[in-house]
Amino acid sequence: MRAVRAASLAASAATLALAGCTARGPQLAPANPGAFAPQVELVATPFFPQRDYQCGPAALATVLAAAGVSVQADDLVAEVYLPARRGSLQAEMVAATRSRGLLPYVVPPSMQSLLEQVAEGRPVLILQKTGAGPWPGWHYAVVVGFDTLEDQIVLRSGTSYRLEMPAARFLATWDRADRWAMVAVAPGEMPANPDFARYMQAAAGLEAIGRIEAATLAYEAAVREWPAEALPLLGLANLAHARGDLAGAEQGFRAAIERAPGDAVARNNRAAVLLELGCPAAARREIHMAAALADAGPHEAAVAATRREIEAANAPDVAGCPPDPAPANSRP
Amino acid sequence: MFQRLLVQLLCVAILNLGSPLVAQAGLIGTLEAVEADTRAQDFATVNAVLARDQVRQQFAALGVDPAQVESRLAALTDSELRMLAGQVADAPAGASALAVIGIVFLVLLILEAVGVIDIFKKFP
Repeated sequence: MRAVRAASLAASAATLALAGCTARGPQLAPANPGAFAPQVELVATPFFPQRDYQCGPAALATVLAAAGVSVQADDLVAEVYLPARRGSLQAEMVAATRSRGLLPYVVPPSMQSLLEQVAEGRPVLILQKTGAGPWPGWHYAVVVGFDTLEDQIVLRSGTSYRLEMPAARFLATWDRADRWAMVAVAPGEMPANPDFARYMQAAAGLEAIGRIEAATLAYEAAVREWPAEALPLLGLANLAHARGDLAGAEQGFRAAIERAPGDAVARNNRAAVLLELGCPAAARREIHMAAALADAGPHEAAVAATRREIEAANAPDVAGCPPDPAPANSRP
Repeated sequence: MFQRLLVQLLCVAILNLGSPLVAQAGLIGTLEAVEADTRAQDFATVNAVLARDQVRQQFAALGVDPAQVESRLAALTDSELRMLAGQVADAPAGASALAVIGIVFLVLLILEAVGVIDIFKKFP
């Protein structure tokens, strides 16, 4: 046994040496030094120690409470825990955040993006894959800090209030969970260095489940952040239509079309609203452009249905409708 | 006569089940506009109603309190439901590292007992 031990000592010395000279380098070195502080720790982040297998509810409660929602881990068990799986699905972690009126922003899968969120003061919910082969272990935890000098990550994890983990080890487990990470953002605020598509996905999800107030704030923030984009204006116009503000909706879709003349959805929706406003002729001009743009695209069927409905209407436009030819700003 | 009516009714019902993309005239939702450019549309061929039923059954089978099933479904978007349908039982579900730690300990114990390693100093 002693000989074996000596051999294994030698082996580990060799490994150490290897690690020392072939070092993969620190994992946390920021791509552009100075982008954020070398050491950050969100010490005020609350802690909900997990019970049984319920790391999902505990970790989710941590990020929700940090975003200002009053919540206990036990409240979330009924929302995100699957008893027979002894775990929680990512989709349900997103859904529970959304149903509390917060924006569930799924962070781009890079260490840089993760650290940016923490550096801006938001703890990040992450998924790790531990275990191997027939015993995969999935674990949710919350990144509350990092230290680029010591190359380590600080987590609220399981029953640990403060778990320091070497960055390389964290990255290995996070990698195997496809680097899934989410922050809970108060609607109207922006995550750090926001990605447009990811942000809009989260904001439109709020609208889809009927969190109208939160969706409105989120779209308005997007208009401020990305003034040249059409999609946030489309979202606001859809909300205006939903509350019966037809004139406001028409104006909103027109603004979206100005920014993206090739957007079939904005044109389809404007056409549908023009019909509701009693302007079938103007609607017909718009839906023809939408149909040409939607050809063979994902919205082809919906646009064709709107077109049939508009073409069935024969009445002349009421007073106040956009005159023919269409306003210059709605040409493709 | 009655049989014929029944057959016709069934045909209509089955046809409706099989046509996920019966487009509705009017406004296209913001989420649909967003997801048209993303991979979420890969799932668009699955009927959202069927997907919801499937996830409902899976939630019930996996022990979700019947009183909670509907509110949990309501918080999911159509594309999330389509994505989950059929894979609630396999999708990653964050649980706990406890079981894994137990297994690692067991493996270490066996290796120690057979003499491959010597890390438990007071172990005979």
